[in-house]
Amino acid sequence: MNPDATVGIVLVSHSAALAEGAAELASQVAGGTVPVIPAGGTDDGGLGTSAAKVERAIKQADRGAGVLIVPDLGSAVLTVRALLADPEDLPGPVELVDAPFIEGVVAATVTAAAGADIAAVRGAAEEAWHARKL
Amino acid sequence: MPASSEQVVTQVITLTGDLHARPAGQLAVAAAKFDADVSLTVGDRTVSAKSVLAVMGLGATSGQQVTAAATGPDAEPAVAAVVAILADATAVGG
Repeated sequence: MNPDATVGIVLVSHSAALAEGAAELASQVAGGTVPVIPAGGTDDGGLGTSAAKVERAIKQADRGAGVLIVPDLGSAVLTVRALLADPEDLPGPVELVDAPFIEGVVAATVTAAAGADIAAVRGAAEEAWHARKL
Repeated sequence: MPASSEQVVTQVITLTGDLHARPAGQLAVAAAKFDADVSLTVGDRTVSAKSVLAVMGLGATSGQQVTAAATGPDAEPAVAAVVAILADATAVGG
């Protein structure tokens, strides 16, 4: 594992537009140094999730320090879990995190930009459950 | 000379613009690179400068005073980095 590599982030959303918008926002807030790859919608562009899109996104996000996957809603988790059950073609470590979608991905991306390892990046995403806006 | 690991540095800055998402991110990335604990205080609220969500949650606006404080071996450069970002970024917004 390259110690200088940043953790990559993959956003799995039922909506391609939601995944793309969230990825753009997180990337800009964190200064653009971390790969934040959207994997939204089905293969034919509808609402839903696609294992093929998620797999491509994981490979694109990988910089050698692991990839954290942030799902938007529960059923995106099923797609990711099915993919991770057979990880032989995936770079490692690839982890799925239980976090609020936009807050989680922003916190994870900023933490990754500071050079944190995947455990710390995951922890930042999970802590987002406790962040208040007001 | 004793170990400087307990060094505490504090600096107050008055914001010239609102603290928006991008400068908050820049600030958290910068703060997280230091070993020191780095905090921001606005009014009676104090948050970790290393948490982008907490920094954004401060809702700090133009004209407010922000106290940057750091505790640790690299407290001085940590506070300097955070204050520089607050000075620059809030002038631009975003």
